[in-house]
Amino acid sequence: MLEATVRVTNTLGLHARAAARLVRLAVTFSSSVKIRRKDNDSEANAKDILSVLSIAASFGVVLQFIADGADESDAIEQIKQLFADNFGEDK
Amino acid sequence: MSDTKRIGGVIISHGQLANELVGAAEAVVGDLDHIRAVSIGWHDDVEMAKAEIEQAIKEVSEGIGVLLLTDMFGGTPTNIAAMFLDSNDVEIVTGVNLPMVIKFASIARETTLHDLAKEVEEQGKEAICRATTLLLPQKLKKDA
Repeated sequence: MLEATVRVTNTLGLHARAAARLVRLAVTFSSSVKIRRKDNDSEANAKDILSVLSIAASFGVVLQFIADGADESDAIEQIKQLFADNFGEDK
Repeated sequence: MSDTKRIGGVIISHGQLANELVGAAEAVVGDLDHIRAVSIGWHDDVEMAKAEIEQAIKEVSEGIGVLLLTDMFGGTPTNIAAMFLDSNDVEIVTGVNLPMVIKFASIARETTLHDLAKEVEEQGKEAICRATTLLLPQKLKKDA
């Protein structure tokens, strides 16, 4: 199991299209990928868009990603990169 | 059940709501080739609307069922959709909202028509919430 903490830094937060990008990435891994919102402990499955939207992660929110499985290290690395790139937004 | 077949979907509404719902869902999750929108004009003829729905069902059906999502129980779109219920491979869920369309799009391959209809119905109800209870619970405490 591997964990990483990221902050939501794109202006719109984890809105529908950003969440969809995260889900499209997460489903490419065989590992399970869980998200925990640090300020209120609400949790989501990163492979289910409606679950991701339910944690309403807006700008500034800190999220913990927990990947578990054979490709957990790739999963964490690429998810961190997606957040670092602000989902391709705010250019 | 084949791995490659999908359950089809037809969204039927008053006015342009159905088209807009499919458009919004596609903006989020990508192309939805297995979903059609049928928008029934306020003054459309019932037989014409029925023929349009029948055509849409034919287009999306891959032989394992079609889910009809309508805007409002008791309204004309639902009443016309109900004419197709005598076929075993059609189910209707009313009160369609955007999370229901997205849910449908993400599970249409992995389940049976009846389970899918149940899941979409549950998702639709779950997605309706008073946002304050989730985002600002402290405000509610203050108001109490």
